[in-house]
Amino acid sequence: MPPIASLFVRYVDRLNYSIGRLVMLGIFIMVGILLWSSISKTFFLPSLWTLEVAQFAMVAYYMLGGPYSMQLGSNVRMDLFYGEWSTRKKAKVDAFSVFCLIFYLGVLLYGAVESTAYSFEYGERSPTAWRPVLWPIKVIMVVGVFLMLLQAISELLKDLAKIRDEEL
Amino acid sequence: MSYNLIAILMFSTMMLMMMTGQRVFGAIGAVAAIAALSLWGVGGSDIPFASAMKLMKWYPLLTLPMFIFMGYILSESKIADDLYKMFHVWMGPLNGGLAIGTIGLMVLVSAMNGLSVAGMAIGATIALPELLRRGYDKQMVTGVIQAGSSLGILVPPSVVLVLYAMIARQPVGQLWLAGVVPGLMMAAMFVIYIAIRCWINPSLGPALPKEERTFTLKEKLSLLRAGILPLVIFAAMMMPFINGWTSLVESSAIGAMTAFVAAVLKRRMTKEVFEVSVRQTLAISCMFMWIILAALGFGAVFDGLGAVKSIENLFTEQMHLDPWTILILMQLSFLIMGTFLDDTAMLVIVAPLYVPLVQALGFDLIWYGILYTITTQVAYMTPPFGYNLFLMRAMAPPEISLRDIYGSILPFVGVMILALALVMIFPQIALWLPNHVYGK
Repeated sequence: MPPIASLFVRYVDRLNYSIGRLVMLGIFIMVGILLWSSISKTFFLPSLWTLEVAQFAMVAYYMLGGPYSMQLGSNVRMDLFYGEWSTRKKAKVDAFSVFCLIFYLGVLLYGAVESTAYSFEYGERSPTAWRPVLWPIKVIMVVGVFLMLLQAISELLKDLAKIRDEEL
Repeated sequence: MSYNLIAILMFSTMMLMMMTGQRVFGAIGAVAAIAALSLWGVGGSDIPFASAMKLMKWYPLLTLPMFIFMGYILSESKIADDLYKMFHVWMGPLNGGLAIGTIGLMVLVSAMNGLSVAGMAIGATIALPELLRRGYDKQMVTGVIQAGSSLGILVPPSVVLVLYAMIARQPVGQLWLAGVVPGLMMAAMFVIYIAIRCWINPSLGPALPKEERTFTLKEKLSLLRAGILPLVIFAAMMMPFINGWTSLVESSAIGAMTAFVAAVLKRRMTKEVFEVSVRQTLAISCMFMWIILAALGFGAVFDGLGAVKSIENLFTEQMHLDPWTILILMQLSFLIMGTFLDDTAMLVIVAPLYVPLVQALGFDLIWYGILYTITTQVAYMTPPFGYNLFLMRAMAPPEISLRDIYGSILPFVGVMILALALVMIFPQIALWLPNHVYGK
């Protein structure tokens, strides 16, 4: 494999790993926001912002955490046949079928960028009482999908290396 | 091309892509993206992303990471060990008592988490070795644990019902309440089955020998304290919700925190438990979210086609099937699909087609959610390819072969199908509680 491929794999994997390790603690942020929401509702005036901030936190959690979950191999596959195959055969089939994934992520990224550009241009706000601007969360989503795309390409390169019996 | 044909083409392409073993969300998403682009050109390109915005605005989805987190804390920190001991001592003297106790354990575990996997992990690691050591029949034991774990997604909180609620656009609270009575009924039916089998043939589940029953009443009573924990967690979560102080989502956060605090107080929150539960929560939540994201895109394309209307016509007008026949055919198709699909994947793939169809046929969608949940669990356990069967194989000790597991599950599948039939014939079993609470 060309050296640039191994560099790509190494840096992408390391980047997504670090982001994923950080984002995984986000579960406590979500718990915290929702607890504050219940407390403020019961004892003081209900907070306006908790619902949407919790939603934003969840989106950031799964978008930025997605690549790390891919590294962990937690995405379900239908393993009726796949489960029986050798590592090499898995790599071969994956090297083709991963283009489905890459295509999907590409279309997703295109939509995300368009929608974010729109938010910037018109200062789009959420139609709720709190009316937060929407571009920050959309930027996070663009970044998340882009990282997902990088991780998918990294997986492809790893499969190619496996097929050619090379170390990355 | 007619819309029917496009719809069939979309489904078959997706099935074909999934056969390759590519990540399920990639296969669903790719078909959605390709269909959207080829049907509506550039205008269709924002459909996949539009579903990400839709997903963000669906507030109850926040319960998903909460319950997954709770489930992992409970199974990883082994809080459930004490619970098992309680059932062990109290139920042991009966023939088959430990197996009945295991069902009781599963009901309590189900009330604290929303996935069937957690119940299975707890059952396979705590109850299974213990029951085998006591000379219980291994087919009986593996059957009990698999059947018991299926209660996890029927008894609230249930993650599968949250997903169903999202796709069918039904209130989660009502769906959860609808699951309570069928879940408890199924547990009772399992217990009756075990009791009868062990009464006829005590060697299947021998009672604890006399010398092991030396517990004094005081010791026995102090063991009951273990049962307090699940009640506390369940009450901390459900009371504010039922009283209308908090929303469902906020309650789920309270539940997650209570479970976390309980594990810390019991000194079970080690570094390793923390690491595994936090990491796995991210992994499993991301898996669910990305599948839902892809499936929402797929569903949006499907809605745009108006394919449901024409398929409904095909069944009712052209083939002259009555609603109940169609409903039963749909349940059968779940059984077939369940042999090779994961229940989430199954839900998100067929729901855009089935849910509107069920509604058009005039059935109650809350009731159908319960039917769906039981059916997928049955499907999960039907040999030769059942997701649960393989999971059990992975968790069980080596002396239990796949053949044992296959053999063990058949009578329990029979009991579950009986339960399914009861809920179908008497919808009130599911609908009574939500109607009573929400006062319809």
